[in-house]
Order: sequence, then structure tokens, then C-alpha cells
Amino acid sequence: MRLKTIAKVILFLSLGLFLASRLSNGTLSFYIHPRFNPLTAVTAFIFLLVGLIYAYQHRQTILHGAAAHDHDHDHHDHAHAHDHDHSHDLSWLALAILALPVLLGVMVQPKPLGAAALQNREINTGLLASAPAPSGSQLAVIPTAGERNILDWLYLFRASPDMAAFNGQPVHVIGFVYRDDRFAADEFMVSRFTVSCCVADAAPIGLIVRWPDAPELAADQWVEVTGTFLAGAFNGNEMPLLIADEVVITEAPAQPYLYQ
Amino acid sequence: METTELEQQPEEVAGHTTVPAPEKRFQNAIRLVVGVLVLLILISALPGLNLRFAGDRLQTFTTIFLGIFIEAVPFLLAGSLVSGFIAVFVDQNTIARYVPRRAVPAAFTGALMGFAFPVCECGVVPVTRRLYQKGLPLPVGIAFLLSAPVINPVVLVSTYAAFGFGPVLIGRYVLTFIIAFLVGLVFHFAKPAEVLRPPEETGIGLPDSYHAPEAAAKGEKRAWTAVVTAADDFLDMARYLIIGSMLAAGMQTFVSQALLLQFGGAPVLSVVAMMALAFVLSICSTVDAFLALSFAGTFTTGSILSFLVFGPMVDIKSAMMFLGVFRRRIVLYLILLPLLFTLLFALIINLFLT
Repeated sequence: MRLKTIAKVILFLSLGLFLASRLSNGTLSFYIHPRFNPLTAVTAFIFLLVGLIYAYQHRQTILHGAAAHDHDHDHHDHAHAHDHDHSHDLSWLALAILALPVLLGVMVQPKPLGAAALQNREINTGLLASAPAPSGSQLAVIPTAGERNILDWLYLFRASPDMAAFNGQPVHVIGFVYRDDRFAADEFMVSRFTVSCCVADAAPIGLIVRWPDAPELAADQWVEVTGTFLAGAFNGNEMPLLIADEVVITEAPAQPYLYQ
Repeated sequence: METTELEQQPEEVAGHTTVPAPEKRFQNAIRLVVGVLVLLILISALPGLNLRFAGDRLQTFTTIFLGIFIEAVPFLLAGSLVSGFIAVFVDQNTIARYVPRRAVPAAFTGALMGFAFPVCECGVVPVTRRLYQKGLPLPVGIAFLLSAPVINPVVLVSTYAAFGFGPVLIGRYVLTFIIAFLVGLVFHFAKPAEVLRPPEETGIGLPDSYHAPEAAAKGEKRAWTAVVTAADDFLDMARYLIIGSMLAAGMQTFVSQALLLQFGGAPVLSVVAMMALAFVLSICSTVDAFLALSFAGTFTTGSILSFLVFGPMVDIKSAMMFLGVFRRRIVLYLILLPLLFTLLFALIINLFLT
């Protein structure tokens, strides 16, 4: 009883501290959309508060091992089932499950979704049907050519009937390297995930890059690609291909995902 | 009685409960597995013992699991706090006086109660459980459980933000209301016996000082009791949320989505695909409209609606949480009835109305 009460207090405090630390070092954006940051901050604070109140209300149990409302678990093994409430009976198994989010969060190094997660998902390159349909307002805010990210380009592809219209336009994008057996030896995809709520809905998008040294790039490596578009085809679909002039190895950006 | 958490305890006969040997062995096996897992994680984390435990799949699994958990946990906490305060401050006569018992008004009330308790699919489970304990009639709670994740002000705003005022917004609300109402009626007329898990199994109880008048005298003290009750409720439900999030993350890590997404334009298969997607993704109802928007161009209207109606009622994590309140047989009906009704209405929309 006493140990379990202490374990519960630790659970609440650790959940609060875990969320707060993820928020403060920026890795929270590996998991959920930044619009939830204020909500997460409030939640972390409430967890800490609940933990402290829980500890204070159960201080007798924690300090002396005997609660003011002790349920006397020592007499007959089963007879007390109907006399007392069991609101505090969580098994050690249940407590272990409750510890899993923080344990996994601390033990497994925080990392945004990468090429490994992409294998199970539909990939939206230029023209594939499930690319998000752009609205008028989204097209209006798309920046000039040099500053467009992968999602901006896909919006423009969707809005344009003619893939040759992009020929010669300068491109500079950041993403991670993805490749599977549909790709030729000198091709790879510079990819990002788009996220609308949390990583559970992450959808990969990308541009097909032609680059002679493509085989030397490791999957999952973040790269900056500079080049121009040339109308072509990938996997039977017509789309602008990115003919790279330069591919520079880089670090993952602080906001690894793109937001629709 | 620690062993009652996940497995149903046999009924008590003549004042004695006996745990049969196979069940005990099963529970011990679970403990062993969890213990070994925790031990492995701990060992792998020791500095200097670089075992490369965090492989690609585990990395992906952990990221998605934490994504779902971190997104959902504020809403479960909020629901638990509401539950804790209901436990301490709402007395049973209030519910008996204001909530109708006849079939149609009862299901009707339940389906609209979300506006009184604005909670999403995670928060609604502890609130419903607590309201049942306070004497809420069964069909009212069922209709509330199914409708509240959609029929509440927050989701109204987010759906409007994503789709504007149009067929999707209207369809989502009308269908959710009708289905919750119908399932509520079914439960009223079917009058199933033994719906709820018995209290000694679920661990839900009255707050410690509930029967102590001296403790209830001061409002401040009662508020603290409410917080402690809420904390116990949270821990009690959170384990189901965690198991559900892990199942959903596991499905996403190991099962291909491309299979589901190729049916976008097919009138029947698109509905089945979007309902399956809603079940697997387990995204909170407060934000699922933004996700559905990205399918709006390519999927049929009926399938988008089925995603927005079925997902909030039932998904992997909420189905797990239902297990903390209802007996397994009832959870099965709570999954199947909304599934069939949603399928029916979405197909009608796709085949006859568009």
C-alpha cells in the first residue's frame, strides 16, 4: 500500500516532468503539432500539481505506512471485498504499464519519423492522388521559388495542368533520403512527413531527385538539394523531376515535419 | 485482490473467491513478460552497455506511440478531473431528478449531453463510468458515450474550421446524433443483464471521505478529495489508453496503409477503408477533422463522413478503455452496433444521395 502510493506520486510527477522537458528542449514537435504546445504545458503543470496534492492527501500512508482510512488488508484475504472500496487497488502490473510512456520516452532516443516509417505508408510524390488538395488561400501564401518547401511544390503541381510549366525553375529544398526498388540507380526521393495532429497521421511526401552520386547517400540522411525541375516520369506517372546541381549533407531541422 | 486488474474474476460463490490455477498462471505469465521487457529496457539504457536496443522499428513504434499518448493524455486528465468533481459534488438525487428514464427521452438526452460535459473520446469514458455510479440510466450513458466525442463545442469549432458550414459538418452531427440515439434505444429495449464490470473489479469507488460528514463539511477539503479521486480515476483509465495507443502504434508500424488508401473513389470500399483507418489511427476527435480534410479531394463524401462519425465513437484506444467500464460482451456490441449503423448510413449517402 505504502510503496504503491509512493509509486503513484512518482508516476504523476514523472509524467509532468517528462512533458515539460520535451516541451522545453523542443523534441515535443517530434510527436505532435506545435499548436498543442500550450495544452501540453498546462497538462504538465496539472500533472505536477495532482502529484503534489496526491502526496499531501496521502501523507499519513507515505510517512508512516498507515493511512487514516486504511482498509486493513491483513485480515481475511477476501472478506473485505464488499466492505471497502477499492479505488486504490492497482496491481504492480498496472503500475508497470502506466510507467511505459515515460520509460520508453526516456530510454529510446527521441527522433522524428524517418525512412523506416515510410515503408508502410502511401508516398505522395508529385501527382499521386492522395496529395492534399490545395485551397485558394494556401496557394496565395506560397513563397517565391527559392524559398518553397516540398509541400509548397506539391500544392503547385496539383494546381497546374501542365508539368512542363515547371521546367527550369530553381529549387532548393531540405528533406531526408528515401529509396526503394522503384528507384533507378541515380534517383532518390528527398522526403518530409506532413503532420496535421500528431505523428499517427504523418503522411510522407517527396520530390524525385536525379543525382549521379545518389547511391552514395544513406537512407534517412538529411540533405539540402539545389537544382532545377525537368518534366519526366517516375513509376509511370508524369511529374517534374528535380535535376540536382548540388546535394549537401545537413542536420535534421528543428521542425522536422511540414504542417498543412 | 491485486490480480484482478486485466482479467475478469470469477463470481464469488458463498463468500469465497477462488482463482483457478490456469488464470493465475496466465497472470503470472503476463507479469513475467512485462518484467522482462522493463528489465531489457533498463539494461539497454545503462551507459557503456550500448546494445543498440533502439532499432528502426522500435524507434518508429515509440515515436507514434508517444504521439498518440501525448495528444490524448490531456483530454483523459480533463475527463478524470470532471469525473472526480462529479464524484464529490454531484449527488445521486440530482441525476435521478433531471435525467428521463423513458426510452426515447433517455436516449435523446444522452445523445445531447455532450454539450453539458464537453469531453472527447478519452475524457468521456471516466465521466460515463462515474455517472453510472451515480445512478445514470444505462441507455443515457451509452448514447452519451458514443455522441459526446463529437457533439460538443470544441469539436464543432474544429470541424467548422476544417470544412466550413456544409454537407460534411451537417452530416457529421446528424449521423452521430442518430447513431448514438439508435444504439441507446437498442440498449434500452435489449435490457442486457450485467453490463458494467463490478466495482471491486474496476477499482472505482466512492472517495475516501464520502461517507464522513466532518470531512465533507469544508468545500476546500472536498475539492482536494475530488482531485485525489480524479487522480485514481486517471491512473485507472490511463493503462487502457496506454495499451490502446501501443496497439495502434504497432498496427501503424507493421501494417501497410497503402492497401487501404487505394480505394478512395470506390463507393463501398472507400467507406470500409476509411472506417478501418479511423479505427487503426485512433486520433482524438477534437482534431480528426483536419486529417479528414487531406482525404477530402480523393475520397467519397460518405467515406469522409464515416471516418468522422465512426472514429470518435470507436477506435483501438477507446475500445480498450471501454473494457475498463463494461463487460467484454457489451464492449463487442458497443463496437459492432456503431460500425454497422455507420456503414449503412455512409453507403446510403454514397449510393443514393450523391
